[in-house]
Amino acid sequence: MSIATVEVPTAPDRTRMQRDRWARLRSVMAEQGVDAMILLGNSNVAYATGATWPLADPGRANVDRPVAVFTAEDTPPHLFCADADIDVDLPADHVHGPVFVEFDEGAQHFGRILSELLPDEGRLAVDELPGSMQRTLELFFPGSEPVSADEVVGPAKLIKTPDELGFMRQALEITEKAIAPVQAALAPGVRQTDLTATFLQAAFDLGADANILDPIWQVMPKELAAGPWTTHGDIACPLLSTERELEKGDVLWVDTGISYAGFASDFGRTWLVGAEPTARQKVQYQGWRRIIDAVLAVTRAGATGSDLTRAALDACDGRKPWMHHFYLGHGLGIESAESPFIGTDLGDSYDRRQTLMPGMVVVLEPLIWDDGAAGYRSEEVIVVTDDGYISLTDYPYDPYGD
Amino acid sequence: MATEVLADEAALRQARRQRALAQMEAHGIDALLLGREANARYLAGAQRLWTAGTRPYGPGCVVIRETAAIHLVSTWDEGIPDEIPHQNLFGITWNPGNLFAWLGQIEGLAGAARIGTDSLTPRFAQILPKLFPNAEFVDAEPALEAARRVKTPEEIGVIRLAIEVAERAAEETRSRLQPGVTERQLAGVFMASMAGQGVTTPATQRVAAITTAADREDRADRTVRATDLVTIDGAVVAAGYTGEVARTWPASDQAVTPAVADQYARAEQLWARLLKASTAGASCADYIAAYRAEGVDLPQRPIVTGLGLGFDRPVVTADLAHTAGQEHLVPGMVLAVTAHVGTVIRKDSVLITTDGPELLTTSPYWKQEQ
Repeated sequence: MSIATVEVPTAPDRTRMQRDRWARLRSVMAEQGVDAMILLGNSNVAYATGATWPLADPGRANVDRPVAVFTAEDTPPHLFCADADIDVDLPADHVHGPVFVEFDEGAQHFGRILSELLPDEGRLAVDELPGSMQRTLELFFPGSEPVSADEVVGPAKLIKTPDELGFMRQALEITEKAIAPVQAALAPGVRQTDLTATFLQAAFDLGADANILDPIWQVMPKELAAGPWTTHGDIACPLLSTERELEKGDVLWVDTGISYAGFASDFGRTWLVGAEPTARQKVQYQGWRRIIDAVLAVTRAGATGSDLTRAALDACDGRKPWMHHFYLGHGLGIESAESPFIGTDLGDSYDRRQTLMPGMVVVLEPLIWDDGAAGYRSEEVIVVTDDGYISLTDYPYDPYGD
Repeated sequence: MATEVLADEAALRQARRQRALAQMEAHGIDALLLGREANARYLAGAQRLWTAGTRPYGPGCVVIRETAAIHLVSTWDEGIPDEIPHQNLFGITWNPGNLFAWLGQIEGLAGAARIGTDSLTPRFAQILPKLFPNAEFVDAEPALEAARRVKTPEEIGVIRLAIEVAERAAEETRSRLQPGVTERQLAGVFMASMAGQGVTTPATQRVAAITTAADREDRADRTVRATDLVTIDGAVVAAGYTGEVARTWPASDQAVTPAVADQYARAEQLWARLLKASTAGASCADYIAAYRAEGVDLPQRPIVTGLGLGFDRPVVTADLAHTAGQEHLVPGMVLAVTAHVGTVIRKDSVLITTDGPELLTTSPYWKQEQ
């Protein structure tokens, strides 16, 4: 790889990161003529305020959620939150007690606050509209017809700042350090849930903020026909972990991630339980290596998503070497899957419009399926540079290869 | 807690679905477009992938009242109940056009006069009325909340199991509490114990919080000192249902100053008042009154939350005082009730019955030795 203009600092600066984000948000707001945003979604609030907190089950996260108000004026956002331990770096008069917007009483209370904070006129953006908030906005801002705040936050966060890349690398390092003892513990008789126990304990010991996805240690069937029925006839994955005991020779597709400093990590590898790869399995890995190398060879700023899918298809005799219900690649950052998406059912015309830019973080997840002998899948996290990429994944491919 | 991915038990599914369909009828809702996983789980009884945090709205579960048919976004049939046939499953899609085409061909949806959603985004608020121009779109949350707030016997059985897992994990976490340990290390112990019991999904992930560290600089991962009080607030999601318990423990004898001992004593007095308020027919405002009677300021977090597939109604907090006055306790509600005095927290789960409150949590709590 040649010289990259994108750098991944080892000591990222949180204050500078947040200032950069506010500038980006205001620039997109100016382009779209948005004067103020009300943010209810956890990831949007985390992005706009820089606040971090351990994410909760979605069934309670609706009620107990931090809420942010972000205006086009040059002032920090306001955060409303019940969590006394939330980690946030905002002026004290911008951090407020909670608003319970899922309830009419709470939403109306918030409506009165909004009347003070927001400009009398102008275009309002929101990311979510529970019934209580729909009624409140009609009451306090009649006829306002808010636009989508996701379409402001989305473009703002698409390209990572150097500080964001620095924190993301730390999140990925924690994940890889926490996964190593899990792989070391693989043995017949160990349950899938034991692997989860080992992973979560190690991740929290290493400073992870939260588990963001029920970790996947899927035992792959040898043949597609032996797996569950699917809508597309292709592989079913990810399937949930249970107390099923691993057996010698099981092929595990691993997929997991944590959150750290407000960023999601992503990790994917194929492991074998108590066995070395057979000759056929080594060929699978070489096939996967061929695909990932082909995709990485065309990965650089200016390439389109379609260039990447084409490279993958060409390296696999025209067969689609990724899950049909997912993608060849997806963005990573505040969320475990965010833009850009490459190789989805949005089709090639969509992929042609996805132009890679320096500072985009992409997770590439091609796979080889070899019916009769399962298959191989791994994920590589990269950041796009002017003339190539920087790899953010640094984990071996044992027991398949170096 | 099995060796394969199973749908929820048939009796549980049927009882919940009956309640939800009855509420749809009572609220005049012909079809539901559900985005929230807890609502989808309540109606469909399917296990799908758990992720942490709020999710943006998108219709991933469709319910037609007239036929009781459930349609679900799922690429595979593992964890899907038998009564949801393959033709009612739709694979994960990233293409809104494909999603709308699926919605468009669901039998009974185009003819629905009133369609309920459990949230919306500005995009869906624009598009759905265009896709279904003959329908009136309404907020389905009041109907779903009404269905979910009182638990069926089957639900209470699952909640009991979830609480057992949470209590064992919290107890194991407490056994590791000592000066020098960090909040995250304690959280890790809780997670490992939970997963070791076969449950891999937490309901909250703070788990351990030093309540005497409000003025410390480092908020991210604090180290326990001998003079600290630490709240272990453990909550798990087992088979979809929340089990939780919270206790504050001194890190060592040095933490128990006379002022702290007094806070513990007042927390017990407050807890006794809260338990007394947990009576069928009582107003939820009685919980707020219990704090006032004890002379304790209400915390920012809710003092009472309904437990089920996440939080259910009622949710009692100072900012929702009027709402609390309108809510009354009903037998079959399961509530997490919190006594919070200064740096001391005690949270238990209570089942409201006709014979008074049944305490579902049995964890020990700190008491001054006599």
